[in-house]
Amino acid sequence: MTWSLNEIEGLSRKAARGAGLSWGLAEEAGKATRWLCAAGLPGAEALAGLLRQNDGAEYETLCPLDDTGTWAAKGGALCPLISGAAICDHAKDIAEGKALELGETSFPLLLLPYVAAAAQDNETTLTLEWPGLTVSFGAETCINQTIPGALDRDSAAGVRITSAPDGDGTPLAPVTRGDITPEIAQILTEFAHRTYAPDTAQSRLAGAGAGLSDND
Amino acid sequence: MQQTDSIRIAPRDPNVVMRLARLGSFHQSRLSFMRVLLRRLKAENWQFERGVFDIDARGVGRAVYTAHGPHRSYSLIAFANDLPPEKRSDRVIATEWDATFTLFDGIPTRADLERLYQNVPRQEAGRITETELSLSRANRSVRLWDYVVDCLAHGQQPDQGRIDDVGYLMRTTAVYGSGKFGAADRETTAERDEFQAPFQIEMLSVFLTRAFVMDLVEHMAALRAPETAVPLAPKLRRRFGIGNSTGLGMAPFILNHPALLNNWIAAREEALARIRALPEATPEAAQSFCDFAKRARLHAQSWQSEHPIQIAKLDDLRADMEALIAHLAEADLTGDMPWNRLWLWGETALAVEGQELLASLLMEPYGDLVDGLSCCMAADEGATWRIDGAMQVSDLRAITQDVYGWALEIDWAGRDATARVWYTSEAKLEPRLGERFDEPIEPYEQPLCPGRDAARMFADLADFPKGPVAGFLLKHPEHRHVVRRAQIAARLPYAEIRDNTIDASVLPIDMLRAKLSFFGACHFDPRSDRWLRINMFQHAPFPGELAGGNADDWTYPYLEGRA
Repeated sequence: MTWSLNEIEGLSRKAARGAGLSWGLAEEAGKATRWLCAAGLPGAEALAGLLRQNDGAEYETLCPLDDTGTWAAKGGALCPLISGAAICDHAKDIAEGKALELGETSFPLLLLPYVAAAAQDNETTLTLEWPGLTVSFGAETCINQTIPGALDRDSAAGVRITSAPDGDGTPLAPVTRGDITPEIAQILTEFAHRTYAPDTAQSRLAGAGAGLSDND
Repeated sequence: MQQTDSIRIAPRDPNVVMRLARLGSFHQSRLSFMRVLLRRLKAENWQFERGVFDIDARGVGRAVYTAHGPHRSYSLIAFANDLPPEKRSDRVIATEWDATFTLFDGIPTRADLERLYQNVPRQEAGRITETELSLSRANRSVRLWDYVVDCLAHGQQPDQGRIDDVGYLMRTTAVYGSGKFGAADRETTAERDEFQAPFQIEMLSVFLTRAFVMDLVEHMAALRAPETAVPLAPKLRRRFGIGNSTGLGMAPFILNHPALLNNWIAAREEALARIRALPEATPEAAQSFCDFAKRARLHAQSWQSEHPIQIAKLDDLRADMEALIAHLAEADLTGDMPWNRLWLWGETALAVEGQELLASLLMEPYGDLVDGLSCCMAADEGATWRIDGAMQVSDLRAITQDVYGWALEIDWAGRDATARVWYTSEAKLEPRLGERFDEPIEPYEQPLCPGRDAARMFADLADFPKGPVAGFLLKHPEHRHVVRRAQIAARLPYAEIRDNTIDASVLPIDMLRAKLSFFGACHFDPRSDRWLRINMFQHAPFPGELAGGNADDWTYPYLEGRA
C-alpha cells in the first residue's frame, strides 16, 4: 500500500507532537519526513526510530547548546528535528561562511530536509557531512556515501555543515508516493494517537454541535 | 480621447476584513470556485457522457459520469446504497451513506470499478490511490426524496414550494481531496490548467454528483411505475442544487492554510478596490448592477433558516436590500467614481451582511476586471512557511503588535477568553470544540488559537531585548508555530483571522461560511453554532446544458419575465 505525501506529512506531524515536540517543531518534522519520502529515502523509518528512542526525554536534554563552539546536547545526542529547525534559523550565518559543527546526533538522515531548506532559502550551496557520508545541496541534491549504511544510521558521532561548492554523488530520484511498512506506520500511528482526545458521551453529543436533526 | 485620472483605492484594512463577524457574512461572487469551474467548462466546450448507469429497484448499483476536457477526462464514479433510515447521519462519525463517490483521473476500467467498489462505500475506512482525486458521500433529504419519487412515479410534477423549502435531493456530508485516504496529492495535479484555481476537483465532483442525483430520482420513479412515470420538468429540475452539511473540519483548514486564505481574500479585496476606483460607469454597467441588486433581493427573500442567529442576519440582509434598492432609485451611478460613492454609502447605511453582499454584487458587471483574479487564488504554502531566524526580536515584537494588536488587548486570564478548546476526537478523528473548564480535553488542544498564542509569545519576548529570532526560538520552542504565523501575516495581510477563536462567544459557523462562500455556496443555514447546511449549484445548468446556455449567470433568481 502506498501513501500520499500529504498523509505522510500529517501522520508525521501528529506523531512528532504526540511524542512531545512543540507544535512548531512538529509541523517541521512533518514537512521533513515528507521531503525524505518524496526523495525516496527512509524518512518515516528514521522518524519512528527517533521518536521511540527519545520518548519521554525533555527538550532541554535534546536541544543544541553551543558553549564550546560545537552544538551539543546536555543529554548526550542531539535531536535532529530540534537541531534541524535551528539550522534553518541560523541559515544566514552558515551561508555567509560560518561552518556549523554538531556533536553526536541521532538519526542524522532527518537533518537533510532542513539543510536543503537552508540552502534553498539563501540561494547557496551547502554541504552536510558525517563519517561515511557527504551530501551536497546545490542545483541538485547529491548523496555520496563512502561507508555502506552511513545514510540511515541511528547516530553520527559528529556532523558538519559548511558553505561549499557543488559536490559529487548520486542525485536524488524523486517519487510521488511514499512506501511505508505496516510496522513503521503502526509506530507513527500510536504516537499520533496521543494527540486525539478519548471519545466521551458528552463530547460526542456536544463537541461537533448536536443542534437540530441531521436526518431530514 | 480625454484621459481620466483614476484614483487608486487601497484594499480594505485586514483589521476590518478579518474579523469573524465579517468573515461570517461573506457571500458567493464571480470569484467563487463553482463559478470559476463552470466558466471554464463552458469556454473550453467540455463534453459529458454517462458511461455506466446500473442501478436496481432498491436503488443499489453504480454509475459513471465522464467529463471530457481539451486534454484530459475525469470520471465521477457513484455507488448507490439502500440505507436503513436509522443509519443516516451527516456526522463524520457515520459509517454508511445513501451514495458514495470518487472522482477518477481518466476513465475507469472494469477492474478499477471493482477495486473502488471494495473501498469507496467504506469512505474513511477504505483506501483509494493516486488515480483517484476525491472521495465523498451524500445522504438523501428525507423531506424531499420519497415525495419527489412518488410524484414522478404518478406522472406528476412535485410542488415548487416544497422543492424550494429544501432545495436539494441529496446533501454531501464530506468531500475529501488532496491526498486524503490515499488519493492523489494536490501537488500532482496543481499544474493542470483546469485545476489551477483552488478546489476545482471538489467542485467538479459536486457538479457531476448533482447530475447523478437528478438522474437517480427519475430512474427510481421509472422503475417503480414504468407505465406512468415522467421525468422532472426542466425548469423544476434546475431548482435542485446539491446540499451539503459542513462541520468543524473547515475551521482548522482555514487556520492551517494562511497563505491560501490570504490569496482568496486578497483577490476579493483587489476586485472591490478596482471597481471602487473606476472613475465612471457606462449606463449598461449601471443597469446591470441594478438588475443584480434586485435579483439578490429575491435571493435574500428565498433564503431560509430556523437558527436564531441566521434569522436575525437575514432580517438585516433583507432590510439592507430594501435600503440598497431605494438608494439606487435616487443615486447617480455613472459619474464621479460612482461605485466608490455607493460603497461609502453602504459602509454607514448597511449592516455587515448587506455590506458584504454589496461587495459581491459590485463585481457582477465587471467580469473583465474580476475574473482574471481567480488565477491568483491558489497558494504554495511552502513559499512563505519557513521562519526567518535572522529577523531581530525587535522586528518580531513590532509585527506582533501590528498583526495581533487586538489580541494583546485581551485579558487572557479571564475564563471567557479561553473558554473553548479545539481538539480531535479519537472517534473517526472528528474535529470538535469543547469547554476548557468543564472537560478534560486541554492536553489535546490543537494550535488553533493564534491570538492567545501570540500574546503568550509577546510576553516572553520581554525577556529578549535584542538579538535574532533564532535564539529566542531555541529557548522557547513552544512559540515556534506562532512566530511562523506572525511572519506569514506580516507578509500576507489577510493570512490571519483577527479575532479570538477560543472565546466563549466564538461562532465556528463564521469560519465555515467564509470558506463556503469562496466555494460559491448559497443559503447558509446554521444548524447549531458549529455546523451548517448550504446549497451548491442551485439553478445552475446541468452538464449537457452548458454549451447552449449561460454558464455563469445563475446564482441569483431571474427577475419576472426574464431568463
